[in-house]
Amino acid sequence: MKKSSIVGIIIIAIAICVIISTYADSSTYGTFTDAKTTDTELHVVGQLNKKKELVYNPQQDANYFAFYMKDNKGLECKVVFNGSKPQDFERSEQIVLTGKMVGNEFHASKILMKCPSKYTKDQIEVKEVSAAPVQTS
Amino acid sequence: MDIQFVGEHLLPGRLGQFFIILSFSSALLATLSYYFATVNNLKSPLSGEFATLSASWKRIGRIAYMLNLVAIVGIGSCLFYIIYNHLFEYHYAWAHSSKTLPVYYIISSFWEGQEGSFWLWTFWQGVLGFVILKRGKSWENSVMTTLMLSQTFLASMLLGVEVFGTRVGSSPFILLRNAIEAPIFARPDYLSLVADGNGLNPLLQNYWMVIHPPTLFMGFASMIIPFAYAIGGLWERRYTEWIKPALPWALYAVMVLGTGIIMGSFWAYEALNFGGFWAWDPVENASVIPWLTLIAGVHVLIAYKNSGHSYFTATFLVFISFILVLYASFLTRSGILGETSVHAFTDLGMFWHLILYTLTFVALGVFMMVSRWKEMPITKKDEETYSREFWLFIGSLVLTIACVQILATTSVPVFNAIFGTKIAPPPNVIEHYNKWQVPFFVIIAIISAFSQFLKYKKTDSRKFFISLSVSLVAAIFITAAVVYITGVYTNAMYMVLTYAAVFSILANGRILGDALKGKWKLAGSAVAHIGFALLLVGALVAAATQKTVSVNTTGIGFGDEFAKSNDPKENIILYKDEPVKMNRYMVTYKGDSTEGPNTYYRVNYKVIDEKTGKVKENFDLFPNAQQNAKMKQIIASPDTRHYLFNDIYTHVSSVPLKEETHTPHEGHSDEENYEKPLTHEVNVGDTIRYRQGFIVVKSLNRSAQIQNIPVASGDIALGMTLEVNEGDKKFTAEPIYLLKSGTPYDFGKNVEEAGLKVRFTNIYPDKDKLELMVYQKPKAEKDWIVLKAIEFPFINLFWGGTIIMVIGFLLSIFRRNKEIKTS
Repeated sequence: MKKSSIVGIIIIAIAICVIISTYADSSTYGTFTDAKTTDTELHVVGQLNKKKELVYNPQQDANYFAFYMKDNKGLECKVVFNGSKPQDFERSEQIVLTGKMVGNEFHASKILMKCPSKYTKDQIEVKEVSAAPVQTS
Repeated sequence: MDIQFVGEHLLPGRLGQFFIILSFSSALLATLSYYFATVNNLKSPLSGEFATLSASWKRIGRIAYMLNLVAIVGIGSCLFYIIYNHLFEYHYAWAHSSKTLPVYYIISSFWEGQEGSFWLWTFWQGVLGFVILKRGKSWENSVMTTLMLSQTFLASMLLGVEVFGTRVGSSPFILLRNAIEAPIFARPDYLSLVADGNGLNPLLQNYWMVIHPPTLFMGFASMIIPFAYAIGGLWERRYTEWIKPALPWALYAVMVLGTGIIMGSFWAYEALNFGGFWAWDPVENASVIPWLTLIAGVHVLIAYKNSGHSYFTATFLVFISFILVLYASFLTRSGILGETSVHAFTDLGMFWHLILYTLTFVALGVFMMVSRWKEMPITKKDEETYSREFWLFIGSLVLTIACVQILATTSVPVFNAIFGTKIAPPPNVIEHYNKWQVPFFVIIAIISAFSQFLKYKKTDSRKFFISLSVSLVAAIFITAAVVYITGVYTNAMYMVLTYAAVFSILANGRILGDALKGKWKLAGSAVAHIGFALLLVGALVAAATQKTVSVNTTGIGFGDEFAKSNDPKENIILYKDEPVKMNRYMVTYKGDSTEGPNTYYRVNYKVIDEKTGKVKENFDLFPNAQQNAKMKQIIASPDTRHYLFNDIYTHVSSVPLKEETHTPHEGHSDEENYEKPLTHEVNVGDTIRYRQGFIVVKSLNRSAQIQNIPVASGDIALGMTLEVNEGDKKFTAEPIYLLKSGTPYDFGKNVEEAGLKVRFTNIYPDKDKLELMVYQKPKAEKDWIVLKAIEFPFINLFWGGTIIMVIGFLLSIFRRNKEIKTS
């Protein structure tokens, strides 16, 4: 067999491994109920409860933002985000959180929201914010 | 009854729509004509009936092509006319521009929408077609067939006409009243109510957005040419011939697309507050994947040209690169990325249209491969291990695998759509990609170094190792130094990548040294490889050691539990004129100024030598935000201080929203906005301190005037002239005391800038004192901003590397172009 064919086969094998482990890295979409049962980070999709208070007082702490969100099953949970309040947050139609439960609060490391955009009213604009990386060292 | 609308300019739109139809039909005609020209030419290439037929088809094809180009220019002119003249009766102008936009941003609003960017693509493809027409010679027929087929598809994207009840494409000339349903369109004079357009997204109001899209789309457009040559080569059975003319085109595509991607990266760095130059966003990935596969393709094309090996791989990579361009446009334009990307378009009803475009070209490539499979010049010989072609092949495959990984993660939403699964992207995307890409790029950098020392066919392995050993050893020492200086020693894999890149720079530097002595041939590749290796080191160092300098060290937080798990805190609050120590900088927020829709926040940075107390550096940064009080939103853009070895990147993450109008309401006295006043008994020449500064009583004005109140002869009107000093700023104020018909009044003065109100409330002739009341705004009401600042060390290595790489591509184009002429 040709050397390049052997290499080709090895490469294809690596490619398959890469794809499989890429999906092993991936997360899942879940609800707050799912989040309570797992320790790993997951994505929760839901809507902001606009009737409840949004806590963001930069004068006290510029890195604490808390709000209440209802997941797609209708369960409400307090969400804490380690960062500044994303602008436009009040108008969000849908929120995708990445994070995990800590006690009774969901600690989000990333918030991605969809807002009706001012600039293109018939389109949807997607915005993303990330919290500070949790230091592991 | 139809309504007669007043004030509409329908001519440019109708003309534009005519040009769209013309561009579609002429592209279709050109495709067919060039197809028949190729087919007839294949039957009898030199003379006879078929040759004449082929020549006539070619003539028709050329005319149709020229018509197509004219139509495309016509579409662009009409659309520009509409946007430039603010004809808001057209949806495109209304949705993407406004009257306040400066001219250069009107250019960016031209391609903000999908239609405009499709136009850009088709325009460049048309321009490149002209080059083929002039210089393609015997390749014109087959290459133009493929190119015009792509032009037909792009033109169809702009059609916006109904076919069997479904709208095909989206026209930029659709009228506002047809695009949106609203009651105002029942009025004949609705246009007078549409005061202004929506304007351009502030994030796109950046000079990079004027030139990034045209460059990127020129890159996308030029990807079709190597593809078309490969198709032509198989179709006309000119299996080996196509590679020579296609090679400079492939290099050109790689160079232009690379430049476009880097410009996008510059834009992200300068205008988006994501905090970086690369975020592994699906939209970014979508354009980098075809770029990398075509780079791999270029390498195997060269391998094949010199050794006859890897024909299939070369053809495959050229094919897949263009198909991935189409796939990229599907990803970004169909709305499928939905919740995974920050800047993807939403679906304009072109989902299946885009799939059809992609699949057609997939089918074309597969058909050509399969039908010519047995005739393809695939060697049965085995490569030598010590040969350049073998390692070019391996390097390209590794690059392809790296792309497979990026593609797999980016395509998660596509898999979800196909299989109905609900897989979410990895929680930490950047970590995920880096974990995979760093090892791949270690291998690629190492191969890019040593394969330069290999010869085609066979190399003396002893000589090879001797010439390499110096670089291998020297790289160890340099790496140690680089790792130490930049501080990337926390991660073993990063050190390995640094070593690989340094090795590549040294090895390619030697090749470049030889090139300068006269062996010019390898100069292009050496320069490109050096640029690429520098880019790797720069990206690695900047990303790995970037440091948030705006760390909140005050320790104020919402509970310790939170602080424990979430340090470090990356945003810091700055009150106006209160310096805060941030890393080595003393940072002060000095105030804001508004210019058009933007509010610029002046943030002063000072570096003070701790021993001598001297100010070593002093500069202002102006991060800005567009405020919209009604929408309760800001859109922030960063400002960056560039040094040779690092950048300080600053953006506001939160600011107090400005009220549209500030009307004091009834029943509230102005003084409620202030803290309890302090009463001072003063005399001329006295100085009074307040929280942020001091007030000097300058003089007493005995002939003070009060608006609307006549001062009679028996009345006393005294003005106290004050000088308010705050920092290096001075304000004057003159509160007035009035004794009118025996009744005392006083007229206080506000010093808004200092947050003060002063009142001259009494006179004590017996004590020879004047009473001054000083009101100060409470601290929290002072202006503040929440700031985030990041330090990017050695980012210039990244930018420098990209520029060097582009120069390398350019040199290679010259070389490969020369080869066509000399042969």
